[in-house]
Amino acid sequence: MSDAPVRKGFNQTRRQFMATTAGAAGLGAIGLPRLSKAAPKRGGTLRFGTRVDSTALDPHRNLVYYISTPLAATTQGLLDLDLDMNIVPGVAEEWDISDDLMVYTFRLRKGVEYHNGRDVDAESVKWNFERILDPKTSHAFTRASLEDVDEIIVDDKHTLRIRLKEPSAVFAANVVYYPCNLMAPDSVDQVDTHPIGCGPFKFVSWNRYAKTELVRFENYFETDEHGNQLPYLDAIEGYPKREDQVRLTSLRTGELDLIDNMAFNDVRPFRESYGEAFDIFEAPHIGSGHLNINVKSGPFAMDAPDGKLLRHAIAHAIDREAIHHAVFEELGYPLNGYYSEASPWHMPGIRNVKEYDPEKSRSILRKLNMENMPIAVVARQSFQYMSQTAELVHAMLLDAGFNATNEVFDNPVLRQKYAKDDWGIDSTATSYRFEPDGWYSRWILSSAAENQLRLGYKNEQVDKLILEARQTLDKEKRIELYTEVESLVNEDAALIYTHAVPMTSAGTNRLKGYRPAFAGAFSTAGGGIRTAYFEEA
Amino acid sequence: MPDGKATTMERQLRSRQRVDAVDPNDTPLKIRVRRISAGTRTGLQELSKSRTATVGGIMIVFLFIVCLLTPVLATHDPIKPDYRDRLAPMSSEHYFGTDKFGRDIYSRVLYGGQRTIAMSVAAVIFGLSLGIPFGILAGYFGGRVDGLAMRFVDGLLAFPGLLLYLLIVTLAREWKLEGFWNDAILVFALGFAFMPEVARLARGTALVEARKEYVEASKVVGEGSFSVAMRQILPNCVSPLIVNSTVRLGYMILIIAALSFLGLGTPPPTPDWGADLSVARDHMQTHPMIAVFPGLAICFAVLAFNLFGDGLRDVLDPRLADR
Amino acid sequence: MLVYVINRILQLIPVVFVLSVLVFGFVHALPGDVIDSLAGQEAAEDPEVRAALEEEFGLNRPIYVQYAVWLGNVLQGDFGHSLVTRRPVSQELFERIPATVYLAVVGIGLSILIAVPLGTIAAVRRNTPTDYVAQVSSLIGISIPEFWFAILCIMLFSLHLGWLPSSGYVSPFTDFGASVTYLVLPALAIGFRQAAFTTRLTRSSMLDEINKDYVNTGRSLGLSERKVIYKYTLRNALIPTVTISGLQLANLLGGTVVLESIFSWPGIGLTIFQAIQLRDFPMIQAGVLVLGVMVVLINLAVDILYRVLNPRVGMA
Repeated sequence: MSDAPVRKGFNQTRRQFMATTAGAAGLGAIGLPRLSKAAPKRGGTLRFGTRVDSTALDPHRNLVYYISTPLAATTQGLLDLDLDMNIVPGVAEEWDISDDLMVYTFRLRKGVEYHNGRDVDAESVKWNFERILDPKTSHAFTRASLEDVDEIIVDDKHTLRIRLKEPSAVFAANVVYYPCNLMAPDSVDQVDTHPIGCGPFKFVSWNRYAKTELVRFENYFETDEHGNQLPYLDAIEGYPKREDQVRLTSLRTGELDLIDNMAFNDVRPFRESYGEAFDIFEAPHIGSGHLNINVKSGPFAMDAPDGKLLRHAIAHAIDREAIHHAVFEELGYPLNGYYSEASPWHMPGIRNVKEYDPEKSRSILRKLNMENMPIAVVARQSFQYMSQTAELVHAMLLDAGFNATNEVFDNPVLRQKYAKDDWGIDSTATSYRFEPDGWYSRWILSSAAENQLRLGYKNEQVDKLILEARQTLDKEKRIELYTEVESLVNEDAALIYTHAVPMTSAGTNRLKGYRPAFAGAFSTAGGGIRTAYFEEA
Repeated sequence: MPDGKATTMERQLRSRQRVDAVDPNDTPLKIRVRRISAGTRTGLQELSKSRTATVGGIMIVFLFIVCLLTPVLATHDPIKPDYRDRLAPMSSEHYFGTDKFGRDIYSRVLYGGQRTIAMSVAAVIFGLSLGIPFGILAGYFGGRVDGLAMRFVDGLLAFPGLLLYLLIVTLAREWKLEGFWNDAILVFALGFAFMPEVARLARGTALVEARKEYVEASKVVGEGSFSVAMRQILPNCVSPLIVNSTVRLGYMILIIAALSFLGLGTPPPTPDWGADLSVARDHMQTHPMIAVFPGLAICFAVLAFNLFGDGLRDVLDPRLADR
Repeated sequence: MLVYVINRILQLIPVVFVLSVLVFGFVHALPGDVIDSLAGQEAAEDPEVRAALEEEFGLNRPIYVQYAVWLGNVLQGDFGHSLVTRRPVSQELFERIPATVYLAVVGIGLSILIAVPLGTIAAVRRNTPTDYVAQVSSLIGISIPEFWFAILCIMLFSLHLGWLPSSGYVSPFTDFGASVTYLVLPALAIGFRQAAFTTRLTRSSMLDEINKDYVNTGRSLGLSERKVIYKYTLRNALIPTVTISGLQLANLLGGTVVLESIFSWPGIGLTIFQAIQLRDFPMIQAGVLVLGVMVVLINLAVDILYRVLNPRVGMA
């Protein structure tokens, strides 16, 4: 695929994704010949400014941020994702699923190595998965990706079988780079100081809040379409710079080659003024914003007498267009289901969307004689779009006749609030759900941990559909099932989708071949940092 | 904030100087007489001689008048967004333009000032009301009570810079409730962190005064020790505390701004100078005007309190006044 | 003198003890469940996992026992391991504190360079327009919110003028020249701000000195005004300036959080701030305690220095 359309911005990117959904078969071929006319050059050091720094080095214990810092390039999972969210071969060359959907057999690529020279063999993958399954050594989020695993069987050096507890058609999505990373088993002693992975770049040093240094892994297995070994870059230097404006300034002054998390409001003006010297990259949908309503207890609860009606009053108060403009600066898409039109899982048939109509909200409240009913809007402080959405939602609820309050908390306090059911509406978002089951099973299913902790949503019909989809291989059929799920979710209005969260980054125009996608900047087969290179000066 | 403490230290240094740098003819009596005469002259007259105090005073009066008249002066609801009219330039409809959510910046600056100044004043008063009894009682009783109390204060003072604020504000979030209580907790945190300095100042005066005859005398008469301590000693530590508190009012505004920057200040959408300025930094390279007015407002208020505080110091501490 | 110093050091022991209690108390009162932050909700709800983690971090014991164990370890130089990075806290401190000290010392140095000439001129030309300009401009330094001033500096010096790098940190031991270029902007932001006090202090202590007898004597002996002021007066007047700068330095150890965050300066303030957000208890405790001890020691050193410079102060 040509790098031009992705870089040139919103409209093209959107078209590209439309093409994706239109015909997956043609995808592999698009643009390949064009790419070859300028052969990528090896070498160069990429200076990458990120908003956050890694919190720690252990890939199994490190949290969500492992995807947004250069460290992510030091490791990867058993399988890869391509630019269009498809699961593609990576360390495992091929995989198949038993007819009863209970056993997954992965055949590992021969000659893949960890950075210390050890082979990435079935035994080492098993060791990794067992370490991830151990609550003492892993983070809950990582662990959850393998929670269905019943038994890990090593057939031979390059064959690994995984038996599941329940049939699943979607397990392969759980062993991609995020969050299920591989590290060299014999490096476990140095995991907190010098991690050894199997990704395209090797760890050199990490000076917290200052600098991360990585160098090219000379034995990385992936090649481009001409058989040239990837990655092209010699090294990556990561610089965490918290302030969006400072990061952008550093790019403009030439101190950095690439920055992530460009402030949404900078995207358009920056492209207009400096589009000649810099490229802006947008992945229009890496996450989805949603409003959770506390339906565990209180007036909005699933079993409260007027709960549903009150939730509808909330839903009708939400103006997604306003969020689209004021929070996301017209990037990305307003949502009425988890997957936007930029996604291969977009569901055009979703019903029961509650349109913006504050008068309807007011009349519901009047009818129930509950005007000015109090409601606490909460949000997490670490992500601006969440708290800004909360800010707008707060105003919308006031306008619709609720007596709303608005609070921003840090994560530990917010989790305590969830545990105590001490909240009303939570403006939040989830990301990297490239496999829909990763969203529906982990959030909407009544037995899902996050649902039980944060939402309390329970609809037997929805549960049944999600479990059915999980055991369905056919994508069209699954989209149909999920369309039903979303329509029911919209009707229950325990969770209100708001807006797709785009990923924005910017780089010098000397940087070519960088193609960020849903999978983020780092681990994308045939894209991201792996295929980035510097043009001859 | 480094600033507030430095001032205390600065004052302590000066008072040391005052004690040790007197010329030989200057007897304690003379100093005493001078201080008393300074006190008896009418404060206003004295203040008006100080140019800094006059300018600062006028600025403060202006601030308070604007704060009081905010509901009259404001043209819009400060928290009502209008995304169709966002990031608007200055106009006759929106004097200072509109912010990211299309809220009227002029009205936000007005209401924000009301809130910011009210919070600062409340925090300073809270800090004084904790610190003064604490310090005076420590100085009055002396001995072990004093030792214990001062170790506690020293311990708090050893938290450098913003760290005490960060810890207390984070801590206070657990009890964070809605509306009024929400503000009350920020006030509590800011005031509590101000307390050790106040306690130290008050205790210094109390230590000296408590040994004087008139205090001893009232003890003999049989007055309760608390009321003696407060009634007899308090007036003597008023002047350093007033100076310190005035300057402190300015720092409180800056501390609130710094906490907002770190994500620990006033939650949106409540208008607040620090929080608004902090949010405006995202628009630095595209709409710098959003930041200008809350920024100027902060500078104006802090400058006002500092000028006035400086002038007050010159008046209440005549040795340092311009001669 | 020696007795005085020893006495003062002994007095520090209870202060540090109180400090340790306060730090420990604050940190353990912070809202949020540690186990939840450490291992996630599921684990926090699983009694077995919870018990294992509580055991590992000693959280299952009564709070005073936890305190005693912690203090005992600290006294042996063991600050424990960061809950987040799992690296020894002492190592983190060793990496972070020097960066902050470096920034703070140079910042204070700059503030003296700005403040002494400004304060002196203001005093010599007292009650002239020069004096007012100097006084007001020194006040402006503390009237601008720090983060705003820092961002404006970056916009001006880095983006528009292109003189300096916008942000970042290079250790002076790896590349001194580069290190200095990264240092200038944050140090300037500190210096400008701190100079506000120092200027006013220098001015008033200069005024004190100028009005003293020896100055008049000097004048009557026919020494030039310039010589009197710069040779004799200034030297005496600088005593409080030097000492106040020492106190400012102590305070800056935890006062550079905002600047470290803006300039991506990997100092201790930013580290403790992040540790608070992540509820990394051992890191917060050790960080605040060590900084607190440094503050107390610097204050003591300043006091001693003040007495050395100014022998008239009694040793009481």
